[in-house]
Amino acid sequence: MITKLKLIFNQTLMISSAILFGLGIQELIEYLVTGEMYFTWEWYVPLSIILCACVCSVPSVIFIDDESAGKAFVLKVVIHFVCIFAAVSLFAKLFGWFSTLAGYLVIAVMIVIIYAFTWIATRWLAKSDENKINTALDEIRDEE
Amino acid sequence: MKVTLEKVNTPEEEGAVIKAAEVNEGIRNAVDLLENNCRRILVSELSEERSSGETVMLGTDQIYYTESIDKKTFIYTKEKCYGTKLRLYELEETLNANFFRCSKSLIVNIRKIRSVRSELNGRMIAELLNGEQLVISRNYVKDLKRKLGV
Repeated sequence: MITKLKLIFNQTLMISSAILFGLGIQELIEYLVTGEMYFTWEWYVPLSIILCACVCSVPSVIFIDDESAGKAFVLKVVIHFVCIFAAVSLFAKLFGWFSTLAGYLVIAVMIVIIYAFTWIATRWLAKSDENKINTALDEIRDEE
Repeated sequence: MKVTLEKVNTPEEEGAVIKAAEVNEGIRNAVDLLENNCRRILVSELSEERSSGETVMLGTDQIYYTESIDKKTFIYTKEKCYGTKLRLYELEETLNANFFRCSKSLIVNIRKIRSVRSELNGRMIAELLNGEQLVISRNYVKDLKRKLGV
């Protein structure tokens, strides 16, 4: 139980950071295109980001485990992505993170990019660990 | 127990004298460690149907991995399988620092791992020197890294 709560907490932190990063990039692009230097948030937007991140962390607890492998794992990742995409879209609509279809498309693209980036980064870190462990094993391995 | 260490000049002069009132398990373990550079544990040889066979002393340096199945503990060497009355957690306390728990039911000898391969789901597959493959659960990868100092 504690492990799952820790996972939800960590995922909430990571996802809310990712959403803030995405919104930051969105505003940067808007500044570069229009020159607009200010933007305002409704009072509830920061809280809605944290709440959205918390909801998005629940599918991770349900679907991402280390028991599944192969096709079952790929299927779980697809379901996980769909859940996250749906959750962010729902929160974006409910809390007015966008006002036009173009605004929603930007959010949709960001979800895909951030999700893909997260997996690429995770894979890169795992490969890095693999190389470090194999190098360390070379030094202590028994001769057979 | 009082321990006296005396420095000698050559490896041939190296030796140990243990003075004990009673030869208990602790003393026997110390002798095993000094004589064989590893501890020795009592195990039963198993046939294919995993029924108990001849009881032998097995050096822990020969162990590739140990596994707990249905509350029974099995010990695997390069080619043989043994049974022991010890539970997995008891065995974990007996085995030295070369061993680490790679999942809830497995303890593996790090020195017998040929290589590891990471998987998408965060776990790792360890290939042993005898070609067998074991799963290192995601939660235990950190322990392996800590043990190896990486």
